[in-house]
Amino acid sequence: MGKNNVGSVYFGILGVIALAFGIADLVVTIGGSSVCWGILEIPNEMFRGGWGGFIVLFAGVFYLSGVKNFSEIHQFSKAVMGSILIWIVAGCDIFAMITESIPGGEEGPWLNTLEGFLETYSPLYPPAIFLLPFSLVAIYYIRKRKQYGG
Amino acid sequence: MKLTVDKRWNLIERISGKTVTFGKYRHTLKDAVGELTVKPLTGIPVAIAVLYGFWSVFCSFAGTLCTDGFLVKLFDVHWLTWIQASFPGKGSWLYYILVGDPLADNCFEAFGVLTSGLFVPFGVVLPAVFIFYLMLTLLEDIGYMPRLAVLIDTVLHKIGLHGYAIVPTVLSLGCNVPAVTATRILETRKERFIMMTLLAIFIPCGAQLGIMQEVIPDTMGLILLYLLIGYFIFGFVLNKIIPGRCPEILIDVPSYQMPTRRNVKRKVWMRTSGFLKTAVPFVLLGCLVVNVLYLAGVIRWLGDVLSPVFISWFGVPKETVGSLIAAFLRKDLAVAQLSAIEMTKYQMITSVVLVSIYFPCVATFVMMLKEGWRELLGSLGVLVAVVFLYGGLLHLIWTLMGVG
Repeated sequence: MGKNNVGSVYFGILGVIALAFGIADLVVTIGGSSVCWGILEIPNEMFRGGWGGFIVLFAGVFYLSGVKNFSEIHQFSKAVMGSILIWIVAGCDIFAMITESIPGGEEGPWLNTLEGFLETYSPLYPPAIFLLPFSLVAIYYIRKRKQYGG
Repeated sequence: MKLTVDKRWNLIERISGKTVTFGKYRHTLKDAVGELTVKPLTGIPVAIAVLYGFWSVFCSFAGTLCTDGFLVKLFDVHWLTWIQASFPGKGSWLYYILVGDPLADNCFEAFGVLTSGLFVPFGVVLPAVFIFYLMLTLLEDIGYMPRLAVLIDTVLHKIGLHGYAIVPTVLSLGCNVPAVTATRILETRKERFIMMTLLAIFIPCGAQLGIMQEVIPDTMGLILLYLLIGYFIFGFVLNKIIPGRCPEILIDVPSYQMPTRRNVKRKVWMRTSGFLKTAVPFVLLGCLVVNVLYLAGVIRWLGDVLSPVFISWFGVPKETVGSLIAAFLRKDLAVAQLSAIEMTKYQMITSVVLVSIYFPCVATFVMMLKEGWRELLGSLGVLVAVVFLYGGLLHLIWTLMGVG
């Protein structure tokens, strides 16, 4: 199996998972209460669950639409765009955690304590954060293409 | 020396043969990604994601980190308590104007020049405007804005504008003042009039967004939705009734590129300092004028006179008159003032929508006047009609829903 076929299968599987997460996000938002499964949390808020879920769903669609003829630049760019969408949602989730972790709260000191700081980063995590490390594989393929002048 | 046409072409061919390298252009990844962001089918989800990122970073940075994290504590716990205790002449008119309500426990409710007057621009609005301009600059310098213009061109043509109208529209979300100037990129008087009117009425500035995020986060989405619907409905109507043409545009879409730190720094500094110069004096003046009017009994009198309109037509308490007066000076200040008035969630939505669509703030007013008094008068005429129609319509919706 060639490198491109591996990429095609990889992003196909990632696409299906992203699509499933996106649909789950939307269903949970409409349903009304958050769902926790292990360290995964699907939030039911309109913004992160609804709007964010919609973007994750489209990331899945982008991945899947780029699977066929993966080595062709326009098809490959769809997989890259899927990853960019995941980076936006996950990046925003991480940035929200960072901004929450720094201040010490209304009654507390100016800066958070070390425990409070670390606690903010403890699970549960939304779906986009789970997809983030897997979406970074797109960078490997971008570099590979650059090496071969693609 | 005179050459025949054939000789001239031969010469051109020889020169180009020596100087021009011919080859087949290969699409790069940048080109392919760029195409995806322009085509509607793929570009719209990307635009939705970009807006999501924009809004999420805006709320996290301005709301969670700066205002709620540090500045509320700085102003409410330290500054307000200190100034309330140490300012001489408690109960005097000077104390009321400069410090405000001596029993207030937060800077929003105190409403003095040195309390709310400082907290609103520096504690709430400055972080919001800074992060807004930083992200806008990044999007511009990366090369996304021209793509957004192409993407939204078809939609904006329905309201008599073209894709480039997205520039004043987005700028207006930061501050209406530079946005009014930016309407000059539109070619015809009709387009400029429609754009100026819509942004003065329906687009809340960054300062107002920051305050809304702080005082009414739960209803903010609904308010923005009403304003967005109004933007398109009234744009469509204006396009139908105003004579003139709306030409097509030809945009040169640059390739995506890495923004340079120097450019970003300069642009953000220029825009943020411009905001501070325009906003801070007006916020301080706004607090001063409203407090003087309160002390003189003018606001109570106006509230009594206008109460039939406010209570029966708009369905909001008559105390909102004071906020509407403040709104002429600064809309963010007016929203802050509304938060201190007791009312239901739906009355609050109507009041904030009214503050948004009511008269443009004085700085925008001056800029619009510079663009031409006829345009200004026309915009104001539309504005009065919109305020009564839209405000009354909201009241009607709430009444039909049984919550009015």
